[in-house]
Amino acid sequence: MSAMNCPMSSSIGGVRSWPSTTSGSAWGKRIQKEIAEFNIDPPHDCSAGPKGDNLYHWVSTIIGPPGSPYQGGIFFLDITFPPDYPFKPPKVLFKTRIYHCNVDSNGNVSLDILKDGWSPALTVSTVLLAIRSLFTNPDPYNPRVPSIAHLYLSDRVKHDEVATEWTMRFAR
Amino acid sequence: MFKCNNITARIFHRQIHNPRPGTSVHCARQFYENIVPSYTIYDIDCPDHFFRKFTEDGQYLISFSRNNQDLIVYRPTWLSYSCKEENCDSHDLPPKARRFESFFTQLYSVSLASGNELVCKDFFLYMENNQFGLFATSTSPVHDAPATEGAIHGVPSIEKITFHLVRLQDGVILDEKVFNNDFVNLAHSMGMGVFLYDDLLCIMSLRYQTIHILQIRDSGNLVDVRAIGAFCREDDELFLNSHSQASKFSLPLQSMAVLDKGKQNDLAMHQVENGLQHHQHTPGGPFLSGIKQRLLSFIFRGIWNEEADHALRVQCLKKKFYFHFQDYIDLIMWKVQFLDRHHLLIKFGSVDGGVFRNIDHHSAFFAVYNMETTEIIAFYQNSAEELYYLFEQFCDHFHATSRNSLYMNFISSHSNNIHALEQLRIVKNKASFPPFVKKLMASLPFSCQSQSPSPYFDQSLFRFDEKLISATDRHGQHNENPIKFISRRQANTLKFKIKPGPEAGGAEGRQKRSSFIFHPILPLALSIQQILMQPTVVNIHFRR
Repeated sequence: MSAMNCPMSSSIGGVRSWPSTTSGSAWGKRIQKEIAEFNIDPPHDCSAGPKGDNLYHWVSTIIGPPGSPYQGGIFFLDITFPPDYPFKPPKVLFKTRIYHCNVDSNGNVSLDILKDGWSPALTVSTVLLAIRSLFTNPDPYNPRVPSIAHLYLSDRVKHDEVATEWTMRFAR
Repeated sequence: MFKCNNITARIFHRQIHNPRPGTSVHCARQFYENIVPSYTIYDIDCPDHFFRKFTEDGQYLISFSRNNQDLIVYRPTWLSYSCKEENCDSHDLPPKARRFESFFTQLYSVSLASGNELVCKDFFLYMENNQFGLFATSTSPVHDAPATEGAIHGVPSIEKITFHLVRLQDGVILDEKVFNNDFVNLAHSMGMGVFLYDDLLCIMSLRYQTIHILQIRDSGNLVDVRAIGAFCREDDELFLNSHSQASKFSLPLQSMAVLDKGKQNDLAMHQVENGLQHHQHTPGGPFLSGIKQRLLSFIFRGIWNEEADHALRVQCLKKKFYFHFQDYIDLIMWKVQFLDRHHLLIKFGSVDGGVFRNIDHHSAFFAVYNMETTEIIAFYQNSAEELYYLFEQFCDHFHATSRNSLYMNFISSHSNNIHALEQLRIVKNKASFPPFVKKLMASLPFSCQSQSPSPYFDQSLFRFDEKLISATDRHGQHNENPIKFISRRQANTLKFKIKPGPEAGGAEGRQKRSSFIFHPILPLALSIQQILMQPTVVNIHFRR
């Protein structure tokens, strides 16, 4: 499809060049393929794309799912692909503040598939879908922020109130 | 309304004739055609001060001492003298007419600057209903300022900026507000970074990318209302701290891991490092600042809602949004003005747009922000035609002046004056459209109180060469030729001339600058000529 129409071809003052080593090329091909797949079937409420003409640094947006305390929020995420991608998972960082037991005060997400559970068969789409499902179903048993996980388990109503307030203040 | 130009006939006419409803003030202003500052006394005997301006109610003349330390305030009076002889009108003025003190009475002199601060000569804002004046003093800017946490690079730093609130009746300093190691534009040429609307003041801190909203209380206090930048609402930071996500697992470990892996591929490592650096550059930690989050989500929503099909929408976002994402992140707030009590017009640009360079040619963006709902209402590029047409038709809405300021209603603009509109259309038709729009948009956001409400600049009364003189206060290149004010309603009738110098010659026009200070009500003006290495010459123009 229009995958080859990627921003690499339209470089506006582009600085970074195509990696010349064979491993880099394979790396680039894999990411190009992911762009193509992502464009054909993007996950619901999610979108993503390379930042400028840098294929290895993406930005993604997840819209807070309706019915969750994150409804009405627009959450921006940074996705960085390591040099040995897809054998190592991409690094995902929240750029928008969120009150969530699996996201810490620096924006790091704790998600099994971004650590030990990673497999080269997984893609950006699966990662984004997994993060989106964390919005509706947090995982308080593997928390990044124990205090939020504790509140989630002990007083769900209060947790949701605070999370809604955070969304209104920091994610609109 | 008046058919005759004779002032006596006009007064008789006024007695027997009612102007149409709502127009009486405009009819009364037509008397200014008869009462003009046509008489000039050159090089008056005058204290060597820097004369800034008249307050918009005409009550005070603001001046600063040459050593940039003191504020000296005068009350405009009027030359009075008696003459015993017959035929007084043809008689020469008495010698005391050459003295500045015959026209102005000094009210007081106060020292504003202390330490190594100096008065910012361009900066003065007037709050009419309380007769308060706002002044600024600062130390000199440091251009290669060391990087500080939260401060952006490429913007100079000023060690200390002090705003002084002065009661102009008696010169008492009521309150002060200090900014340390910050940068606020305090000169007109650089785009004034402070705007006053009613009792609300906004101050654009360039270095910390924060709009400080202050309120000037009737009691004479400067009160912090909110700061817009890292956060949007006044209690956001408090809220965040009270619900802190106390986390023991700080992340440097993980980023280190990414870096280690990066060593396997130098190029890739470089890229990852770049990515990490960007996080460090963003003030306020790893997250987007409050205002940036609002801006990005506004742009995102706009593109998202344009397209209904999800796959096409994602394509569109990739090209229009993610590709430029870093450019949007890198935008900084340059200048701000109030549009009303809730809405701000904010200009965004790149850091290398330059603090001191001409920023006309850079692309810039304008956002309308509602500080109560913390929402971005609109976002335009400086080449946007839509914004231009809004500006052409509703220019006065951009010139937000305080509601109870009567005189400011008469400032001519292309939205309230047919002649100014014609002038604009002529320029528009001559120039090619896109650069014309950019050039015009460079005047936004407007500088606060930068225009004189003098009736002699009312374009429905007088026609004059705007290249030589205008209501906007600025220093112009000196011109030897007299500036003509021609009647608008009787074509080619010269009403009066302002001659900035007695004779041609002298310094031969080189390195000469002149500026004009018009009284807002009286037929009284000062013209000031500065010639390099020579004492300043002040001329007074008035109705004899």
